[in-house]
Amino acid sequence: MTIEILFPEVCNLYGDLMNVEYLRRAVPEAEVVKTSLKARPRFLDGDVSLVYISSMTERAQLLARDALMPHLDALKAKIEDGMPVLATGNAMELFIREIVDEGGGATPMLGLFDLVARRAMERRYNGLYLGKFEDMDIVGFKSQFSHAFGGEDVPALFETVRGAGRNPEEKREGIRCKNFMATYVLGPLLILNPPFARYMLRLIGAGDRPPAFEKAAMDAYELRLAEFKDAKRGFTYG
Amino acid sequence: MMRKLRFLLALWLGKCARLALRVLKRNATYFPGVVALKICPDFLGQVGKPENIIAVTGTNGKTTVSNLIADVLTDRGHKVLSNRLGSNVAAGIATTLLSGSSLSGKARYKTAVLEIDERSSKRIYPYLKPKLLVITNLFRDSIMRNAHPEYIASFIEQAVPRETKLVLNADDLISSRIAPENKRVYFAVDRMDTDVVECVNLINDLQICPICSGELVYDYRRYHHIGRARCRDCDFKSPEPDYLGTDVDTAAMTMTVTDKQGGRAVYPLLSDSVFNIYNVVTVAAALHEFGLSHEEIAGSLRRTKIVETRYNARQAGNVRVVMQMSKDKNALAGSRAFDYISQLPGEKEIILMMNCMEDQKKWSENTTWLYDCDFEFLAREGITRIVCTGPRAKDYYLRLLIAGVPEEKLRCTMSELDAPDLLAYNPGESVCLFYGTDALDLVYKVQAKIIRCAEEAAAK
Repeated sequence: MTIEILFPEVCNLYGDLMNVEYLRRAVPEAEVVKTSLKARPRFLDGDVSLVYISSMTERAQLLARDALMPHLDALKAKIEDGMPVLATGNAMELFIREIVDEGGGATPMLGLFDLVARRAMERRYNGLYLGKFEDMDIVGFKSQFSHAFGGEDVPALFETVRGAGRNPEEKREGIRCKNFMATYVLGPLLILNPPFARYMLRLIGAGDRPPAFEKAAMDAYELRLAEFKDAKRGFTYG
Repeated sequence: MMRKLRFLLALWLGKCARLALRVLKRNATYFPGVVALKICPDFLGQVGKPENIIAVTGTNGKTTVSNLIADVLTDRGHKVLSNRLGSNVAAGIATTLLSGSSLSGKARYKTAVLEIDERSSKRIYPYLKPKLLVITNLFRDSIMRNAHPEYIASFIEQAVPRETKLVLNADDLISSRIAPENKRVYFAVDRMDTDVVECVNLINDLQICPICSGELVYDYRRYHHIGRARCRDCDFKSPEPDYLGTDVDTAAMTMTVTDKQGGRAVYPLLSDSVFNIYNVVTVAAALHEFGLSHEEIAGSLRRTKIVETRYNARQAGNVRVVMQMSKDKNALAGSRAFDYISQLPGEKEIILMMNCMEDQKKWSENTTWLYDCDFEFLAREGITRIVCTGPRAKDYYLRLLIAGVPEEKLRCTMSELDAPDLLAYNPGESVCLFYGTDALDLVYKVQAKIIRCAEEAAAK
């Protein structure tokens, strides 16, 4: 089993990379490949169980886009073939049509999904997130300068219960296309959501193996879930 | 005319608010500035400013550095206006300046040392032209407010006045590249025995060349991205320091600072932590640029005591009780504190209560920082027990398991006041309490209970 982390030298914000470490703890024999911006992605030449890409700076979004652009057709084909991909935080924006800056121009992205991100660098959205993935509750955090709009035909990854979806008015959150999964929810998503980690382990071929430290993870998850379901609790940091 | 009247009204009401708060023994370092800025939005532009302003900003060390600079200048006979007791955002700076001005708004001080919040740059620098701006470093900070260091660098970059001379950390390739058109000097600390080459921290915010995206190679690395580096693919490299700290001797608590003109002096170290070693060379560079000699700076520093609010230790029963502040939701602060405490001699028991209590009252703390923070340092030998407590105790517990701390060393309680009961108080060890900044009353209660438990254990 091979897990490929794309561009960890620039895609490494907010503890996101621990998602891969968490999977590896459950599957110690998994090979973790770190592909740098100047290297050829492993998924182009062989079977990769999961491609992971994490939150990054706005400058890094351009570097990552440029690194993937030459391989766009191959990436598209792999996604069509069902290659598992997980993108967290603003890594999702690599795969959409464009990012439009408030008072500025539009930056074209890879264009795999017909969504547009509107970005305001002076206003950071900070909120909690509660959503549904199949029958699972998903908890997490959002901290971002941009929101995504459009994409009526693009299937969502999560259905929002509380908090912002692709944008504060939208219930649909993220993108799901076969086994391609992207979400604005950032940080240690799999550690915060052991049921979702269990799903991911199955998806990447680890069978019914439990996530690492599952009891402790479930204890923390259940406490957080109860907090997030508490109607009296604020959801957008102010 | 209206503009002037509005300013005077803001000034006088601000002064009244400050007086009233002081009479009531309340903190008068922020609200008076809020009043002044509300009435007169360009209050900072109109209020009298001291002729010589040294501004200090950066992620870590700005409070200590600005306090030390003010202390040395005071010791040298300067009358110094500073915001050492108060806020470092626009309202805090407005409060400081109104307190240092006459009833007509004229500055009563010639010199000011102002600690300035990085995010507030755009609200402050259009009105304030520091003679020197010291940038200690830029690291990843609060995710919600500061996003990432490039973002914060852009705030300073866009606001810093062109005529301000910068005092920059040559060992920090993020902050040292700010505003390249400004006059500047660099400080650095020379290679130390404890340096490494590869990064051992989770946070490493500069891994590629900012010019060509090539690989950065470190000649030596202190921690995170701090060190001396060069690009493998182009001629980009760390700048040459104008002030270099060498011969760091933590036994004698001294360091030599040499400048490019050949001046040098032995400086006292105020603490053996690497951050404080940087703080001393930063102060030396800033004050030498201000016009003081090395002998004057070093002499005054010898008479200065660092106000160490973030770390203190005392004996209780048969153990040493160590209090270590670690700013809430700040992975970098946690990593540095864990690294330092875990390397103290002897065995240690630890209580972790760095929860953000304010968040817990209304929301739920964004805990993503736990996975940027090097909890792995707490898996080092010598740490015999760790108690996780507070609203996020279960998150700490899980994080420590992932960090490699054996389950048998861990305890967990949601009640902070129960945490001291879960320690062993083995004779000769240190009991370390890591705490955040927003629940100090509770922290002191827990500290008191630790001391009581330690004394009871010794009596047995």
